Amino acid sequence: MLQISFKISFVHLRLKIPLKLLIVEDEAGLRQSIEKYLAEDGSICESCSNLQTAKEKIALYQYDCILLDIGLPDGNGLALLEYLKASGKNECVLIISARNSLDDKLRGLNIGADDYLTKPFHLAELKARIMAIIRRKLFKSQNILNYDVLSVDLMARQVKVNDNAIYLTRKEYEMLLYFVSNKGKVISKNAIAEYLWGDEIDMHDSFDFIYTHIKNLRKKLFDETGKDFIHSVYGMGYKFS
Amino acid sequence: MMKLSSHYSKTLLITASFVLLLAGIAYYTAISYITNNELDRDLTEEIDEIKGYIKLHNHLPDPVDFDEDQTTFIKTNKSHFDRRFFDTTYTDPKEKNSESGRAVEGLISLNGQNYRVIIAESKESTEYLTQIISIITVALMVLLFAVMAISNRFILRGLWKPFYQILGQLKAFNIATIDKIDVGDTRVDEFTELNQAVMLMSSKVRTDYQNLKVFTENASHEMLTPIALITSKLDTLIQDETLSEEQFEHLNGIFADVSRLSKLNQALLLLAKIDNKLIHEITDIDLRQLIEEKLLQFNELLQNKKLEINADLHDEHIQASRHLIEIMLNNLFSNAIRHNQSGGTITIVLDKGKLIFSNTGQEKSLDPEEVFERFKKAKTSEGSGLGLTIVKNICLQYGYAISYSFEVPRTHAFTITFAQK
Repeated sequence: MLQISFKISFVHLRLKIPLKLLIVEDEAGLRQSIEKYLAEDGSICESCSNLQTAKEKIALYQYDCILLDIGLPDGNGLALLEYLKASGKNECVLIISARNSLDDKLRGLNIGADDYLTKPFHLAELKARIMAIIRRKLFKSQNILNYDVLSVDLMARQVKVNDNAIYLTRKEYEMLLYFVSNKGKVISKNAIAEYLWGDEIDMHDSFDFIYTHIKNLRKKLFDETGKDFIHSVYGMGYKFS
Repeated sequence: MMKLSSHYSKTLLITASFVLLLAGIAYYTAISYITNNELDRDLTEEIDEIKGYIKLHNHLPDPVDFDEDQTTFIKTNKSHFDRRFFDTTYTDPKEKNSESGRAVEGLISLNGQNYRVIIAESKESTEYLTQIISIITVALMVLLFAVMAISNRFILRGLWKPFYQILGQLKAFNIATIDKIDVGDTRVDEFTELNQAVMLMSSKVRTDYQNLKVFTENASHEMLTPIALITSKLDTLIQDETLSEEQFEHLNGIFADVSRLSKLNQALLLLAKIDNKLIHEITDIDLRQLIEEKLLQFNELLQNKKLEINADLHDEHIQASRHLIEIMLNNLFSNAIRHNQSGGTITIVLDKGKLIFSNTGQEKSLDPEEVFERFKKAKTSEGSGLGLTIVKNICLQYGYAISYSFEVPRTHAFTITFAQK
């Protein structure tokens, strides 16, 4: 019992420490947007635009997660993965690439990338993926995510409020996780739709079902906690806070 | 429609027959003329002989004195008329049959009495000559026909062989495959030229097509970065809560448009990839299981529109890229849901190497020719207009047949027939 509570508090503690991230992306506009979005919750973001600088930075510092673009001006981003592997480092790596190629994806994942995100993507999606990678890698999924009075058991995929379980459908659970990862941010309906359906199902124009899911999730959380976590932002999207 | 060689022989035959006929006529006329002249000279000599005989013997000669010529003397009162030659019938005194003959009529006088003398001679030998000429002419014509038929069959066909080879390759020409058109050397200038022109044209068409494909892929690829930039900037922009409701409304519209642009771009890239045959990986796919997974995945969308699903699925395995087959099913599902009316039905049948997706929808058939075309879509459709094109191209890649059919009152069906194993 003691051990478990220690573990929970450890997880809690670990996630509160600001994350240290390296963004390797040659497109300045995209780099800045990512930096700004991720830095707003206290994460420390460093960025560079080429392979050489990235190598130097990696040699000098320790990062929690590296966002890696494949098409860099001085070479293929996958080379950085090889470099990491060769130098025995095990930073989380999330590949972001315009190359929507299955080969690249498989190659990247084979040489040690943790996930692969294709441009264009929503920043909320990026954030959710980073959080998922870090949780998975650093805590091997055995962790509990706390937000306010909510505690999410990522292993059992269960949500509890003061030891009372809230029964959520799969989609509602995924959405809650997405919201918690992007807490305090306005998330557009498009981003939510893409997250829920994947980018291969071209049904993003029908938002009715998102509305239904949100309504249900909101009600379930409200019934149990008496708090309204999900706020609608002018029909544009939602904000979890 | 006739083959060129037939046209060619026909023309040749007509002209040759005509020329031969003319030649025959010319021969006949010339020979007739020459032999007549010869005969006429003979006959003139005969008359002179008769005159000499009369001068010598002072009486008319007996008919027997003139070999086989027939001589007739008729008393006449005319004191003068012109000597004339004419064609007549000649009766052979021995064989008693009529032949054509040549005769001369002249005037002689004996003891003050004028006589009209007619000497007729057989033309049989010249007739015989004419017959031979006619026979030779006809024989030549028949020979010409025969030679032409034979040459047509064996020589001309061989001569045209390169042409049919080029034609065959042109018919089999597929812009997407890499094999070149080349029929090798021909000994005919025209065909060599044609061959070169066809080769040049096909390689140019192919290069253009390749360039176009590369362009499509590059263009779509280049568009990704700006779209990514816009998306990320929008995501950042909406964090600003000092924006007014009206501004949020505009942003909402921009989000929707960028999302559409992104989907369109993604679809174009995918199409380029399928067209360029860049997706090779092939696995064994349990289609029934995959469709059942998709049914679960689309469950909420189906419920949202209160659609009834009738699925009759039997075991079916195909060898293909799982990625592509999933996209194909996604598009078929999306299509069946998107164009359905609330409370409608979707029927999925997987049996005997066939997959049929049918859905209720508008009470009007789509154009089966156009339904798979790029950007052919209903005005009210929010789709990219590329979904069914992608389905069709995936089918093309694996040699599946796809067809669209409509059933009154409102059932639209897409049937995919997998290749026979």
